[in-house]
Amino acid sequence: MKEKWNLKRLIFNISSLVDLGQEVTSSKGFNDKMKTTLYVVTGMFSVPKAALFLYNSNSHNLELLTHKGLREIDGTSLYVRAKHIKIFKKNEPYNISEIKDNSFCEHNGGAFKKLQTKTFIPLFAKDEFVGAITLGKRLARGSYLPSEKDVLKVIANQMAITLHNSNLFKKLTNKVTENKKLYENMRHIYHDTIQAFAAAIDAKDVYTKNHSYRVARYAVAIAREIGWEGRDIEGIYVAGLLHDIGKIIIDRGVINKGEELNTMEISEIKRHPQISYDILSKIKFPWKDVVYFVKHHHERVDGKGYPDSLAETELSDGVKILALADAFDAMTTDRPYRGKLSLFDALREVKKCLGTQFDEKISKVFFRVLQKEIKGEIKEAQILPHLDKDFDPAIITTLLEAITAELTA
Amino acid sequence: MNNFSISVKPANDIVVIMPKGYVNDLGAERLEQACEQFLDKGIKKVVINFSDMQFINSIGASIFTGIVQKTLEYNGQLCFTNMRKVHRDVFEMLGITKHVKVFKDERNALSFLKGLG
Ligand SMILES: [Fe+2]
Repeated sequence: MKEKWNLKRLIFNISSLVDLGQEVTSSKGFNDKMKTTLYVVTGMFSVPKAALFLYNSNSHNLELLTHKGLREIDGTSLYVRAKHIKIFKKNEPYNISEIKDNSFCEHNGGAFKKLQTKTFIPLFAKDEFVGAITLGKRLARGSYLPSEKDVLKVIANQMAITLHNSNLFKKLTNKVTENKKLYENMRHIYHDTIQAFAAAIDAKDVYTKNHSYRVARYAVAIAREIGWEGRDIEGIYVAGLLHDIGKIIIDRGVINKGEELNTMEISEIKRHPQISYDILSKIKFPWKDVVYFVKHHHERVDGKGYPDSLAETELSDGVKILALADAFDAMTTDRPYRGKLSLFDALREVKKCLGTQFDEKISKVFFRVLQKEIKGEIKEAQILPHLDKDFDPAIITTLLEAITAELTA
Repeated sequence: MNNFSISVKPANDIVVIMPKGYVNDLGAERLEQACEQFLDKGIKKVVINFSDMQFINSIGASIFTGIVQKTLEYNGQLCFTNMRKVHRDVFEMLGITKHVKVFKDERNALSFLKGLG
């Protein structure tokens, strides 16, 4: 199904997911927390009736934990057996008519009717079945769009993790699991969701499939190499994923145009960092500088970039990292107006533009980390896996060494 | 949400509710409960005046989704007034306004509801 990307919807969804993240890490009691997360789902998809169940592995039932908009359903439970759990796809929203297992449908028919269930989502934290959500009819449209299903899956995953971490769940399953910090798990929700949105941004631009994802990876590689850690790394990663979000409201025809762009079209495209900033600044991100990295990813150290024509000292390391990661990926992938450069040529191009487009210090770090990746000195390579494999490592290494030597001299 | 105020209007079968502040956490459930109580008592014309309402997030949207659903179930008539664009955008996107009559202000909503008899 082809989907029109609606900006307001996008902002609402991202904000809701950010809210959700804040809720699950709040100091609220478990029941309120779960209830609130259920409210986030029902609000996002305008579902007046919904319920959340917790799996009790002793009774082999799903036991009602909390609900929204239902009456006289206290004590309702759902029947579920190992064979059902085996066939459920993890955190996947099922239209209940799609569930083909007879014993599941027969046993739960009455409960589903009482709960007015249309959609059933089995909740899994990793491989462990922890509960389920039932959703009633939507106020707006009937079925869920593919992107809505993606968002539902992200939320379901988050709720599953939260359930799994709860003491109540542990008691029910008689298990002492390590109490992982919710705070860490919250990161998943942001990352998964933001990744889903990044895919949507890239989908708009036929030439830049996975561009945002690669930019995020490259930026992380450079940031780690200059010694960034933890939250800062997450911030630059998210900035990479979302830097082009403004493109979703720029005419697709302009973005994918093969021929040279006219002045009007160029200024249209150049609006995207500002638009990205406008969109993202409406969202309360847990990382503080993301919006600025995004706004300035087309600035240059010589001050000839856009939108603010900032120069060298006005640009933060994060901006310089993102600008380089973005441009490097643009060079090494096909674009509407030109074919891609080989890795060798792209690296020479970066070198040529030092002090004008790119920052020298950051570029040196980039050369160094790439060299380390080629030599296998980095545990988790971030750049190499995304490059065409047709280069000769020996030649690239020689080039990188030569550039580094020249810059150090 | 900090609070909200309720006034029952002359026609007696109309209630006007003014949510105040942010409708963005479970506290706002009281708004939904209040609506339901009126519907249950037979006061089925509900006006929600948005002039003092700020920001709304998905949790708030859930509350309003519930209010719409309950009004439908009780065969009531729900009116929204004094909405700002941010509210209208969210409600339109969620398909909530489809089930609601939207008026510029309370006076227009009241004269419409009185006209219903
Ligand atoms: Fe860009």
